[in-house]
Amino acid sequence: MSGGPPKALPSTGPHSLRDMPHPLAGSSSEEAVGGDSTPSPDLLMARSFGDKDLILPNGGTPVGTSSPASSSSLLNRLQLDDDLDGETRDLFVTVDDPKKHVCTMETYITYRITTKSTRVEFDLPEYSVRRRYQDFDWLRNKLEESQPTHLIPPLPEKFVVKGVVDRFSEEFVETRRKALDKFLKRITDHPVLSFNEHFNVFLTAKDLNAYKKQGMALLTRVGESVKHVTGGYKLRSRPLEFAAIGEYLDMFALKLGTIDRIAQRIIKEEIEYLVELREYGPVYSTWSALEGELAEPLEGVSACIGNCSTALEELTDDMTEDFLPVLREYILYSDSMKSVLKKRDQVQAEYEAKLEAVALRKEDRPKVPADVEKCQDRMECFNADLKADMERWQNNKRQDFRQLLMGMADKNIQYYEKCLMAWESIIPLLQEKQEAKWQVAFTSKFEENVIPWARLTD
Amino acid sequence: MEQAPPDPERRLQPAPLEPLGHPDAGLEAVVGEEVEGARDEGSGDGTMTENNFWLKKIEISVSEAEKRTGRNAMNMQETYTAYLIETRSVEHIDGQSVLTDSLWRRYSEFELLRNYLLVYYPHVVVPPLPEKRAEFVWHKLSADNMDPDFVERRRIGLENFLLRVASHPILCRDKIFYLFLTQEGNWKETVNETGFQLKADSRLKALNATFRVKNPDKRFTELKHYSDELQSVISHLLRVRARVADRLYGVYKVHGNYGRVFSEWSAIEKEMGDGLQSAGHHMDVHSVRWFLNRYASSIDDILEDEEHYADQLKEYLFYAEALRAVCRKHELMQYDLEMAAQDLASKKQQCEELATGTVRTFSLKGMTTKLFGQETPEQREARIKVLEEQINEGEQQLKSKNLEGREFVKNAWADIERFKEQKNRDLKEALISYAVMQISMCKKGIQVWTNAKECFSKM
Repeated sequence: MSGGPPKALPSTGPHSLRDMPHPLAGSSSEEAVGGDSTPSPDLLMARSFGDKDLILPNGGTPVGTSSPASSSSLLNRLQLDDDLDGETRDLFVTVDDPKKHVCTMETYITYRITTKSTRVEFDLPEYSVRRRYQDFDWLRNKLEESQPTHLIPPLPEKFVVKGVVDRFSEEFVETRRKALDKFLKRITDHPVLSFNEHFNVFLTAKDLNAYKKQGMALLTRVGESVKHVTGGYKLRSRPLEFAAIGEYLDMFALKLGTIDRIAQRIIKEEIEYLVELREYGPVYSTWSALEGELAEPLEGVSACIGNCSTALEELTDDMTEDFLPVLREYILYSDSMKSVLKKRDQVQAEYEAKLEAVALRKEDRPKVPADVEKCQDRMECFNADLKADMERWQNNKRQDFRQLLMGMADKNIQYYEKCLMAWESIIPLLQEKQEAKWQVAFTSKFEENVIPWARLTD
Repeated sequence: MEQAPPDPERRLQPAPLEPLGHPDAGLEAVVGEEVEGARDEGSGDGTMTENNFWLKKIEISVSEAEKRTGRNAMNMQETYTAYLIETRSVEHIDGQSVLTDSLWRRYSEFELLRNYLLVYYPHVVVPPLPEKRAEFVWHKLSADNMDPDFVERRRIGLENFLLRVASHPILCRDKIFYLFLTQEGNWKETVNETGFQLKADSRLKALNATFRVKNPDKRFTELKHYSDELQSVISHLLRVRARVADRLYGVYKVHGNYGRVFSEWSAIEKEMGDGLQSAGHHMDVHSVRWFLNRYASSIDDILEDEEHYADQLKEYLFYAEALRAVCRKHELMQYDLEMAAQDLASKKQQCEELATGTVRTFSLKGMTTKLFGQETPEQREARIKVLEEQINEGEQQLKSKNLEGREFVKNAWADIERFKEQKNRDLKEALISYAVMQISMCKKGIQVWTNAKECFSKM
């Protein structure tokens, strides 16, 4: 997507990927056109060739189909959170346009990250960069490091878990893209995380690898200090609310796990049902070939069952791609939240220990030493951040699950509606009187030998 | 020929109750009547002359099934099911029905009746009985003959069988059938006294034996081929359908598992929710659970209805066998005819040779003549005379066999036509009711998920 002629393939030779400039990163500045949100000419050019013909400078080819890159449709695809509480949004991030890159060392997928913002932290109002999974992974780690008192959203699983799934298949890539999009949107929505320096760089930097190497991390005060908290302090008593959160997360993950298992079981049963249906329908066709008057009705039933099979396949695909991943994501989320809770416990434990040590020193200085004060400070900040994040998390979780479950119900409704339509449409065919047709085409060998005087009228 | 289908109220089109003197008489009468009927057809009327043969309407129902114990032929105790057959005659004027006969029969007696009909009416596509043992079962169905669901479906099947026979223009007039409905005791003896088992051609039982028939009626050959294919395709269909039912059952039942976990999840949410802003939002979990449980249990009724559809298909699976039997009978008759013709031709040849003195055909006499010397002219004359008598006899036989064969073909084909119309009608109806079942299932599914969606929306 460079403005000039395609660059030479940087993947040739023994360079490791890290030494190379980030694919297509060099062109990002050219795409960020000030004020004018029309996409770069190359972006347009890419589309007009059709995805299949597109060859990117380093050999990347598009994966799946993506919608046209006009800015209005980009805006349309940016999900606006309904539950805004009147906040005006000043940051929009979208993940789309997956592309495959084939290099000598490896093959991988990059995603386009489009950012629009009026925030002062961003030099330009719009950015478009390409990132791959490991970049997201890096971002998440950085966020955890730099914002340890906050809940960081989960990433989709790094490795393919079950079954032999092709990690370059359209379905897998699309599922992953949605999850990555969700990930960035959650960060975007977060009042603290969205201002994180690493996040900013992730969204805007032409060369992320260079930044990674520099290791420039502006840690917050709290972050810096929390990083150095060593373990080993024993917690006296956990405040009730955090104990409740911990218990809740345990139960929640358990229930989600059960729901995940049931959903998987249902999908499995549905797939097995589908297999049988695919054999069932054609038998009616075979029968139809033997018959005369019944030929059309039987063929109609066969086609009908075929349509229902297709509808069922769509249902199982949707459930696999949209339902299961969200469940898994939330299980991962609650796992990472548990570890944040543990860190909080540690901070509290450290404070309590230091406090106790002071008390034991039997000094009669009324003033609490500075470092204990700092600990207390740290703990209280942590608690406040965590509480706020929990509330936000609960709200988002409720919305996400509401959408997820309603979506599941919707997909089932659509499935049944498709089947209903198929069956209703053949009723007239089945009820049709065959007299007129009798003379025409549908005679089996059997009927060809009918004695005229035996012909009956209906 | 008008065919009266078994209609919902179990009311039959006219069937006579006048028993005919002898079962054979029934056959003869049929032959005569069939010819008449055929001529009626030719005039384009399309209806059988009703006036002479149909007297009253009757209703037949197999209303109950009962477990019984008794002693069998080897004096061992056995358990079997008996079925109550009730016959009502319907007075034309006010449509009221009066119970005229009521008796109990077991499955083996039905079999006996059918075997009798097969022997005496070989040109008729005899209605089949419901299956002896449960086949094409999917896991929830029992393969046990004493299982109440099986017994119930068999009861319906037996009723259907009787209705089919009673509405068949030829079979309905049979005396043995009449007695089956009216004479409880001694019926078995009466049937056996007809000696039908002796009449039965054992060759028909050898299903796989082939007869080298030189000039079969092509229509029968094709019909036999059709019946084989029909059997094969319906068997396949029933097998796969059973598997489909099994899988569908699984899908529905697993959905029931959601109910409990949603309840439990909702409970922990409520506990958390008390301290949070979102306290007001809770999924209506009781309703969700109720809807999903209802969804899961709805499959039982759905599949029970489908079983009825499977039974309709099964009837025609077995009908295919009956079709095949008619074709086989034709084959056999044709074979006998050809054998007889061959035999006659050979005798004529022999006769000619004797008369002219040329020996072309092999004969034992000819052989011995060669070995032991020529026979006397008297001996030769005697032999010629015997042969001529035999030839005469043979020609008579051939003539009557020919006539028989042609009659058979005509009558059989007429019944096959009747059967074909019935089959098309019945199967179309079966397909329609199957489609209606599917539509109902889809509508229920939409309802359940719409309700669930609404519950979810309250989160």
